[in-house]
Amino acid sequence: MARTLTFSIFRYNPQDPASVPHMQEFRLEETESMTLFIALNRLREEQDHSLQFDFCCRAAICGACAMVINGRPGLACHSKTKDYPDKITLMPLPVFKLIGDLSVDTGTWFRGMAKRVESWCHTKKIFDPTAQEERMDNALAERIYELDRCVECGCCVAACGTALMRDDFLGAVALNRVARFVLDPRDERSEQDYFDIIGTDEGVFGCMGLLGCQDVCPKSLPLQEVLGKLRLKMAFAAANHLLPRFLRREIKL
Amino acid sequence: MSIPSYATHNPRANCRSSAYLDWLQMLSGACLVIFMIMHLFFVGSVIISPSLMNGLSDVFEWTGMAQIGGPVIFFLLLLHFVLAARKIPFASKQQGIMLADARRMHHLDTWLWVIQAVSGMVILVMGSIHLWTVLTDLPITAEKNAMRLRDSAGWVSFYVVFIPIVWLHTGIGFYRIMVKWGVVGIDGRSSLRQKDALVVAAAMIIGFATLLRFIFLSK
Ligand code: HEM
Ligand code: SF4
Ligand code: SF4
Ligand code: FES
Repeated sequence: MARTLTFSIFRYNPQDPASVPHMQEFRLEETESMTLFIALNRLREEQDHSLQFDFCCRAAICGACAMVINGRPGLACHSKTKDYPDKITLMPLPVFKLIGDLSVDTGTWFRGMAKRVESWCHTKKIFDPTAQEERMDNALAERIYELDRCVECGCCVAACGTALMRDDFLGAVALNRVARFVLDPRDERSEQDYFDIIGTDEGVFGCMGLLGCQDVCPKSLPLQEVLGKLRLKMAFAAANHLLPRFLRREIKL
Repeated sequence: MSIPSYATHNPRANCRSSAYLDWLQMLSGACLVIFMIMHLFFVGSVIISPSLMNGLSDVFEWTGMAQIGGPVIFFLLLLHFVLAARKIPFASKQQGIMLADARRMHHLDTWLWVIQAVSGMVILVMGSIHLWTVLTDLPITAEKNAMRLRDSAGWVSFYVVFIPIVWLHTGIGFYRIMVKWGVVGIDGRSSLRQKDALVVAAAMIIGFATLLRFIFLSK
């Protein structure tokens, strides 16, 4: 039996002075393997052409379609309607600037984040286009890739009580990004350099371990472990010079 | 390195204080957890026999542990409060954001944090009262505790509220240390939560049994 789904969708167009934020209800017949991506597109085609939302890859790789689905951030293209009750509430992601309805600007935030953590390989080596590429151990390459799978959707930030409360908090995605470069032998930054970026209350010590990030990340990144090890690593980086030799630790991620 | 938003003579924008404070927050919490477990066995020994508890109490008295350890615990409690309170939002708007987040997401761990912040505040007040009462009336004996409880419904209700709150906070705090500091991985998290809940339940039962034993302690 096909269900009739009720969508309650946040509507607001900041460009239009007459627009006020409100929830609008839509009804739609559920079809086989329906995702929220399909549902939203049908709503826009068949019921309301002005409905704003973002999509690109519809395969959980671009991160554009993140929104708050029945209270939890998630990717709309990655969410099947059959996993939800008859009534589905859709809200735009908090934290990020609202463009309109369900569409938010995550790009500006992520660019700022990338600049803050200097999200690139810091190296003094001069690139030689004729030389053979340096090799990397396969197991290590896979560990870096595991953290590099982040699609910058912003779900972890939107789920984090700390990030919602304090807009200077780096968030799990930024800490994960730093961990990725810590692992990468091509990045020549020292532990002190990393400490300067994340060894603060806006960085890893601000994280309260609420693990909202871990529980919503649509790519199932190991955020809990990354955050835990980073905290330990940075805590020892700060304390090692005070500790007797047998207590000192160099934490490997 | 991030560029400081104001000029100082210090060329580094950051310092180590956040790291030290986080260490102290964790260690003060961990010490209090260990203390709470020892405390449970100490007062719980009255269930077996009041003279066992009095015997233990004598040892604490002779070795000076009660006279020195008591104030040290008081100090630890205050230190832990000051450090942990840095994480509790003071502005009601931020408190509202945190509550709304937990509610909207139906997210257990966010709720656990809310419980921890609230229970911590209650422990600050009730724990201080408890410590003051006990430490200004040393030595600790089963009979004195029994007297206090038998004659006063006020004290009984005080502990009926205090015991579960302390153990909730202690249990959640232990779980939080394990996940925040990377001791437990992603796979271990839900089983840790279950075991933690069992231990907390056991501690509460022993706590209440102790309370009952004091109330019904005959002269
Ligand atoms: C019996 C006394 C207490 C015990 C055994 C205890 C234990 C703990 C432990 C083990 C933690 C985890 C530490 C960490 O996350 O680094 C913690 C955190 C916390 N405690 Fe306590 N505590 C006690 C009293 C208090 C008091 C009096 C307050 C006053 C407000 C308080 C407020 C907090 C808060 C807000 C946190 C969370 C910190 C965070 O999320 O980072 N606690 N406690
Ligand atoms: S563990 Fe919690 S506080 Fe830390 S980044 Fe994740 S959601 Fe935020
Ligand atoms: S870590 Fe996960 S939730 Fe966060 S931005 Fe990356 S993919 Fe999205
Ligand atoms: S549309 Fe690309 S992640 Fe959903």
